Amino acid sequence: MSAPFYKLGAFGDEASLIVAFLIGIGFGFFLERAGFGSARKLVSQFYLNDLAVFKVMFTAIVTAMLGVTYLSWAGVLDLSLVYLVPTYWIAQVVGGLLLGVGFVVGGYCPGTSVVSTATGKLDGLVFLLGFAAGTLGFALSFPLVKGLYAAGDIGTKTLPQVLGVPYGILVFGVVLMAVGGFMGATWVEKWMAAKAARAAE
Amino acid sequence: MGLLSKFSLNQKLGVLALALGALAVFANVAPGHTVKVNAKELLTGVARAEDHVTPQELAAWIIEGRADYRLVDIRDEKAFAEYHIPTAENVPLATVTDGALGRTDKIVLYGDGGIHAAQAWMVLKGKGYPRVYTLLEGLDGWKDEVLFPVMAESPTAEQQARFERAVQVARFFGGQPRAAAAPGAEPMALPVTAAAPAVAPPTLPAGASSGPKKKREGC
Repeated sequence: MSAPFYKLGAFGDEASLIVAFLIGIGFGFFLERAGFGSARKLVSQFYLNDLAVFKVMFTAIVTAMLGVTYLSWAGVLDLSLVYLVPTYWIAQVVGGLLLGVGFVVGGYCPGTSVVSTATGKLDGLVFLLGFAAGTLGFALSFPLVKGLYAAGDIGTKTLPQVLGVPYGILVFGVVLMAVGGFMGATWVEKWMAAKAARAAE
Repeated sequence: MGLLSKFSLNQKLGVLALALGALAVFANVAPGHTVKVNAKELLTGVARAEDHVTPQELAAWIIEGRADYRLVDIRDEKAFAEYHIPTAENVPLATVTDGALGRTDKIVLYGDGGIHAAQAWMVLKGKGYPRVYTLLEGLDGWKDEVLFPVMAESPTAEQQARFERAVQVARFFGGQPRAAAAPGAEPMALPVTAAAPAVAPPTLPAGASSGPKKKREGC
């Protein structure tokens, strides 16, 4: 049996919705267990007190990357069939900044606001309502923002293509970045804690 | 276990990730690395008729406005300009592997008869395009079954009903029914491709495949 299962027809459209539902539940569960149902925990990221968001997300990236690499190496997964989101670099830079501002101000990102609402937090629910209103506003104002929406279209790009390095070396590079990042993040957290302790004296 | 217990779980996992990452340098994985085509699987698919769509199925898809597949005409540009099935795009046979077709696309190929499309199908399957199909009997099948349907002689009530639906579908695509088995009759004139359908879309028979519309992928 080869993957990606959906692309190779192992299950159809209806079953794919069930699979997406189960994966969504798993995603929400692990976000909640990481403590990301709390806006305090999430926003600590931006005050450098607690870099759990960075660590959890980068761990997920590295785990998925290594999994995909070795499944492909074993001939079980056809990497060239995995859907890649096209790069619209201008639109994505602008959108990324907007999301970041919304994250700092609102205390959540879209997924974590759903987790927070599911655990009964009112601020999460308010964020979710804003998220829905923003989506509606975007849809209604689409003719105005259409130019930005597709700005900087450079097609589907992967890092090995852009940087011109072999796939395996890139994988190792990302792992080095992650492990270095984790060590750095832990150091920053200790330093901030020490600073807070000094300020308290 | 004495040595291992000196390190935290995080540290152990970090070392494991580093080791797997370092090994990946030698793993020779490239995005072009594809799953091999399994001849047995291919032939079983053909035997089970999973390699083609019938003209009637295709007609139903076009009428429904399905957009989850690409209809590809592999004849040359001149033939394509003269007539092609509505919604088709032209990718001449010699160029099917040149990149116009995405490997993740669901592709329905057709030529004049069935052979060229089947050859292109084989090549694309061999190149690891998983979702390629041919139109059964090609454009000939399209003409016989969809554009110019023939009523059976002394039809049963069921055949009569089916024929009436086929006539509706034929008119939608600019064709018309034929008199039964008229050897040596004038060839039927093909409809002009660009003409907008003059008739309202026929209501499809119950149980006709109603597929999903194209969905956006990603998050």
